[in-house]
Amino acid sequence: MLDFMDNVQNAFYEASHWNIDNSYGALNATARALLDFQTPRGLKLQISSLSAPNFATSYTLGNVGVVDGSVSYLYSSLPLRREFKSSELDLHHAIRGYRHFQELRRPDEDWWWEVWHSGKRIDRRDTLLYGRIFLPQSTLEALYLRRLSPTRQLKISAVSDSSLNNGGTILALLQNDVGKYSTEYMYSTDSALMGVRGLYNFGMDPRVELTAPVTAQEIAEPVHGRFSAGAELYYGLLNKSGGISTGLRFTTLPNHTGFPYTMTLTLNPLMGNLSSTYAVKAGSNLALCSRFDFNFYSYESELQLGCELWRRRRDTDLEWAVKKLRADWKRPTVSPDDDVSGVLKARVDQDWRIGVLWEGRIKELLFTLGASLDLKRREQIFRGIGIELQYSS
Amino acid sequence: MAFNFNWSPLIADTSRARDMLTTALNKSPKPPIIVDDIIVNELNLGSTPPELEILEIGDLAEDRFRGIFKMQYAGDAFLTLKTKVQANPLNTYLSAKPSFASPQPLAAASGLTIPLQITLSDIRLSGFVILVFSKQKGITVVFRNDPLESLKVSSTFDSIPFVRDYLQKEIEGQLRVLFMEDLPAIIHRLSLRLWSSEYQEETQERLDASNDTTAPIDPLSSPPQDAVDAFGNPLDPAQISALSLDPTQDMHASFSQKNILRLAALSESQRTLSLFTPSICEAVFRAWASHDRPDSGANTPGLTQSSLSRIQTTFGSMKSNTSSVASGSTGNETQASRPSLVSYSSAPAGLSLGANRSRTHPMRKRKKRVVNLRKNPNGDVESSGVSTEANTPLQKEQEEELATPPKSPVKPSLRFETRHGSLDVGEPSRLPEKTNPEGLLPAAPLSEPPRLSKSKQKTKVPIPSPIIEEPEKEKRSGSSKPPLSKTRLQATQQTTSPLLRSLSFDRVSTLSSSSKNPLSPTYAESTTSGGILEQAWMLKMAQEIARKVQGEKDREAARDRQQHAPPPQAPKGPAAGLWEEEIDAPPAYHA
Repeated sequence: MLDFMDNVQNAFYEASHWNIDNSYGALNATARALLDFQTPRGLKLQISSLSAPNFATSYTLGNVGVVDGSVSYLYSSLPLRREFKSSELDLHHAIRGYRHFQELRRPDEDWWWEVWHSGKRIDRRDTLLYGRIFLPQSTLEALYLRRLSPTRQLKISAVSDSSLNNGGTILALLQNDVGKYSTEYMYSTDSALMGVRGLYNFGMDPRVELTAPVTAQEIAEPVHGRFSAGAELYYGLLNKSGGISTGLRFTTLPNHTGFPYTMTLTLNPLMGNLSSTYAVKAGSNLALCSRFDFNFYSYESELQLGCELWRRRRDTDLEWAVKKLRADWKRPTVSPDDDVSGVLKARVDQDWRIGVLWEGRIKELLFTLGASLDLKRREQIFRGIGIELQYSS
Repeated sequence: MAFNFNWSPLIADTSRARDMLTTALNKSPKPPIIVDDIIVNELNLGSTPPELEILEIGDLAEDRFRGIFKMQYAGDAFLTLKTKVQANPLNTYLSAKPSFASPQPLAAASGLTIPLQITLSDIRLSGFVILVFSKQKGITVVFRNDPLESLKVSSTFDSIPFVRDYLQKEIEGQLRVLFMEDLPAIIHRLSLRLWSSEYQEETQERLDASNDTTAPIDPLSSPPQDAVDAFGNPLDPAQISALSLDPTQDMHASFSQKNILRLAALSESQRTLSLFTPSICEAVFRAWASHDRPDSGANTPGLTQSSLSRIQTTFGSMKSNTSSVASGSTGNETQASRPSLVSYSSAPAGLSLGANRSRTHPMRKRKKRVVNLRKNPNGDVESSGVSTEANTPLQKEQEEELATPPKSPVKPSLRFETRHGSLDVGEPSRLPEKTNPEGLLPAAPLSEPPRLSKSKQKTKVPIPSPIIEEPEKEKRSGSSKPPLSKTRLQATQQTTSPLLRSLSFDRVSTLSSSSKNPLSPTYAESTTSGGILEQAWMLKMAQEIARKVQGEKDREAARDRQQHAPPPQAPKGPAAGLWEEEIDAPPAYHA
């Protein structure tokens, strides 16, 4: 389950029309959500609140090792209208799963953002400020996010921790997204790491107005998938080492008639690592994912399988009557996912390491129950077990 | 004078050393670049021995040696290690960074583990080495400084400068730890194994001599039937059990990190007079375990007596002016404790003093205690009122109790009250009821500390004071007692050795030196090892103290003679009330 503050940040992206999926870093977001989820350890409590549309606070308390906790505050210049009450929020926002991509939308024009008042431009760039302090460790996280223009965003994140070199690290990330392609430039103060990332979407350009008349063939065979290619390059100036990777992705779009699916292939030519993922949404409640890693230098390989299952409550007493009355009758529910009893995520790899996560909502609380197991180690099968409780208002 | 160091046998078989190095290298947390266990593949000590320059020799005998060397090594030893490393620098770099400010690369940080072979050669060492050798306890080598001067690391990644530098740095760091902490332990264990056959033989010989029975295959598991000691006196079953079981305890004289830290804190508190001494459960304190020391080493009976009498005052004395005992002070306690002894002597019950005397030689001479008593002029004079036959059984019990740290004086000594009508000040701290049922000397202290319940907290306070005092005394009485606990190893020595000594059979043979102790396989050279530099100072201190003690003794004797005639003035109220008062205000606070 996403942290409350991450959820708020996503709401900010959404409100400022920023597509977080159109980035090379999010190329295999689906596979990561289905296979790389974190299983909680110990007990963790989170109480958070969006007290005003622009201001959010969150407190967490955990017992990993000793009792530790964090306090975080968030300010957004853009009022956030999404529902954040834990009793009412959309679970699809809080639980990352299969990411079903939509058609690329055309970026906002610059002048859309302009606000004029009595001959003067008074509009401001949308900004998000976020800070979090972890208490016993005295680690401070800070984030500054600014939408410089409709196609550009600056993100500066910093961590201050006495255990780090130089007492902390700062990462500056400049992102450009014009729909058809996106580029990112980054600089990290830690070992002066510089990075460039780019993603290019094949197919039609959302910026180009459709002037030509729609042909009959286009209507008969609508674009039902998108093909993307990207690359990233890093170089650390101080330690004179770098990294490179390239990736491909094919994903289906909403007007695909069959099961939605996503395929990615990433390659790290320096380290000889080849990774392919395949994820399919085999129904409204089920998503499956597999990943195969192969290193052609060391011949090491790895296979991971994962699934996501949304369990919905069925009112069996009424269902037959409803079906009889009107087969395709959908009652408007009070809140979205009101009938969701829980979401099960599970993954397993070739070494029989298993991660299980059960997330959902009980009354007003969001809960995450997780365990990681290692079946190869007979003496200690449970590697970690934990529960997270979230309440937000 | 010349020493002949034979380097060649060390080269012969290095398989054990390899195993130990492997475990030592994998003990500490590894840097993120190393993703597998480090395995020592090859170890060759080379043909060039290190150059040793003798700086100081502290102790020299046929079977023991202690000295400081200046070591220079520029030989051709090499070491080959095998492990797996993460070849992607981005991966290792990011693994140590917080994810919040990480660039989170998609696949650029994907890992590539590569088997790595590292060869460490051209090792240049230079440093001061303290070498302690004893035939029974093996070799202890401690580096005074960081000996590693330079070292060549050649690996699979020599062509990549970043990885090479990184490896060089990391390995140097690990090696420094190895030299300073792990190598002494490894060498010690190796040396113990080298002499283990002799060591076991000698153990058996000693057992045979003390038991006068044919040695069983495993003397530790099956105690002999009708055992007699070296003097022909039959040993009681409790003693046999102590004899037969103790060595097994000796075997496991390893200390956890936590305990070592605690012990370090304890030794700190000795120096700083800190009130907050850590409680170490299941441990026997040197003050209680090592009363046999003066006999085995330098003979300073006065010190032992005074210390014991002081302990008695802290536990048992009335609130008379004599109880102004500097329990915490380490320097003057011998003087301060004298008056308390006088107060005992003034008690009319001769038995009490007799008991006192007997207690001063608690464990060292089990069989000779009567002789000791008579030797002691004070004891003779004071115990005149009571028959010796009445004394001895009591003394025996008391002696057995002596090994245990004194507990609270909550329960008064009923036996003494009834028998002599007057309260024996010294006794209540060691009640017959509290005698360890097994009479097992070393085991008793081990079981003692947990028994100190919360209600007895106050009485617990005096306990550290003997502990504080005793090691100091040992230092003085021993010919060359260094300030120990410089390193962790020495911390272990400090704590193990008293236990071992108390367990040993040396208490039977009074004149045997402590180093002849066959049953202590651990670093018992704490009795002999350490700061030769402080030797002169220690000697001086010892002389000084011996002189003071002598003076005290004379004075005390004079006072004893004076106070012998008058009736006891010390116990005024009923015994129970007295003891309750004692609980309220332990003498340790008076000081």
